[in-house]
Amino acid sequence: MNPATRHIGINIGGGYVPGLNYVVRGVVLAASELGWDVIGIKDGFDGLLFPERYPSGGLLHLTNDLVESLSSGAGAILGTNPRTDPFRVQAVNAENEIEELDKSDQLLEEVKAQGIDAVISIVSSQALNTLFRLHRKGLKVVCIPKSVENDVAATQLSFGFNSALSFTVDMLENARLAAHSTRKIVVVEVPGQHTGWLALQSAMTACADAVLVPEIPYDLRAVAAKLKKRAESGHPYGLVVVAEGANSAAVPDAGPDNPLKKSLAPMATNQQGRFIIDRTGLAAHSVSLELQRLTGQETYALVLGQLVKGGSTTALDRHLGLGYGAAAVRALKEDRPGVMVAFQPPETKFVPLAEAINKVRTLPLNGLFTEIARSLGVSLGN
Amino acid sequence: MQQNPKSGIVLNIQHFCTNDGPGIRTNVFLKGCSLRCKWCSNPESIHPKPELAYDLNKCIGEKECGLCLKECPESALFVLEPDAKVRVNWDLCTNCAKCVPVCPPNALYLFGKEMSVEEVLEEVGRDETFYRESGGGITLSGGECLLQADFSAALLEAAHIRGFNTAIETAGNVPWRFMEKVLPHVDTMLHDHKQIDPAKHKKWVGVDNKRILENFKKAYENFPNTTFIARTPLIPGVNDDEEHVRAVLAFIRPHGNVVDYQLLPYHRFGESKYGFLGQVYEMEDFRSPTPESVAYLQAIIDESFSRTGGKG
Repeated sequence: MNPATRHIGINIGGGYVPGLNYVVRGVVLAASELGWDVIGIKDGFDGLLFPERYPSGGLLHLTNDLVESLSSGAGAILGTNPRTDPFRVQAVNAENEIEELDKSDQLLEEVKAQGIDAVISIVSSQALNTLFRLHRKGLKVVCIPKSVENDVAATQLSFGFNSALSFTVDMLENARLAAHSTRKIVVVEVPGQHTGWLALQSAMTACADAVLVPEIPYDLRAVAAKLKKRAESGHPYGLVVVAEGANSAAVPDAGPDNPLKKSLAPMATNQQGRFIIDRTGLAAHSVSLELQRLTGQETYALVLGQLVKGGSTTALDRHLGLGYGAAAVRALKEDRPGVMVAFQPPETKFVPLAEAINKVRTLPLNGLFTEIARSLGVSLGN
Repeated sequence: MQQNPKSGIVLNIQHFCTNDGPGIRTNVFLKGCSLRCKWCSNPESIHPKPELAYDLNKCIGEKECGLCLKECPESALFVLEPDAKVRVNWDLCTNCAKCVPVCPPNALYLFGKEMSVEEVLEEVGRDETFYRESGGGITLSGGECLLQADFSAALLEAAHIRGFNTAIETAGNVPWRFMEKVLPHVDTMLHDHKQIDPAKHKKWVGVDNKRILENFKKAYENFPNTTFIARTPLIPGVNDDEEHVRAVLAFIRPHGNVVDYQLLPYHRFGESKYGFLGQVYEMEDFRSPTPESVAYLQAIIDESFSRTGGKG
């Protein structure tokens, strides 16, 4: 044990995923076994940077008693801040101008002043970048990946994915039943800007007719032919699942030539940057319209979006959360800061942050899941 | 703000514009803005310094090139598998621009460049014939052109010497000394009343409008020979109500040199549904106002300016 590390901060950066309390619980219980204190930082780093915003304080001492009584549901005791980036904090200056300030130095000083030796951050792929920068500036940090898209490349499984998948499957099955009853084709859009894991895995589990993912440009004529064939055999209904980042092979993603994108700064076209073009719903609506045109059958679009985070936490995610929490403490015990905890079955590994950033975990075109989908007769739209 | 009157950071120079002052005009967009309107459709104009831009379609890929990857000191450039082309990790990029000169197809380039008064005037001057014919000239826009007050003043003064009509487009959120410095060289000041209520202004734009209104009032009073045109980017749910339009009219009508109040219906780009988000899940979805609501509000303005028949 490194006796220097005794007070650990823990926070959550990036969007919400269900069941975050399990990760917090894992960290607190494992730290307590070593006699360490755990201090929760509210809303990303806001609890440290803006304590004045919190009447009861921006920090929360997390004891075993407290975490054992935490909700086992989807809640998060610490709160998340999707835009936690101490390198770009928006502030109004003395001239009443809004500007972005680099408060990373102030943050590091505050961490020190609070006696926090190291920080465990539960982060999305975007927040991973921020933590990488803070680590390069000297902050001792261990990251835990979370994502409902399962897009963090260094780990097989990001925290929250399994719960989102499970809830998405439930909703797809309901949508399928409704489509069956009403004799329509339902096109359901699920999150997945760059990766189709959620779309593919939920679609095959819910026995969808087709699934369209960002990795495989689609041709709707193939999907329409399949649906038509079904209709001719007395089944004039269907379920098509589309990831929000899926693109037509005929009309590839508009790219910078699109007048919208052309007019924007590059950061605006970045899905995880400060400015975001929200494309939620676009894929479902365009696929739904085109399928209606091609099949002559009635179609409708359903956009799940953030709803996929609304379910309860699965047993797998509870295990994973506790395991990730404990592993993050172990990384600090072994004095290995600057890493992300990664689940690479059968092991939990520590991946240096520099190797974890700048990678997207995309679906292999001929991988296990695409093969299973094909075997089950689920069209991949190509 | 440290200012250099000789040069400024210019985002873009647009020729043959007809909506931003009299006649045919050349719009010079300066970089840097002191507001953060939630509907901003030109975020590349916000930051005061040149910023990296990237055109994925131009990238020839890591196998053929990959030169930029070696240059980036911030690990902000990487290759994505499916197409083996470079991506920019905008969270890590610090706009150091070391990658720009090594990129053969110019896929990596900069938004905004430093230009001298002479350089801008040379480009603007190409349209001189059109100004003569139409009574047009140069319009400084942004961003917020008054943030580069020394440069703006020098540029407009030089434009006046060349005989060009001058106009600026401003949101007014600058220290009065900036506005006071530039206005002597301005023929027409187009100025935004984005939202007249201070609390709503703060909600949608980021700061309240107390100083903005003070500045406008001082400008109307201290520069009686300047033509002022008030404008509102009309955004449903933000400022497209009758109460707002009447409040703006009440503010500007006592001043004879405010000659018009124009509504600029907000346009969404194409069919795309989009929102600019300060935060990921706090989505704002701004729609274009309907022609009926624009016509209704326009009629109120026409009545106030004793015009009949409206403008369209």
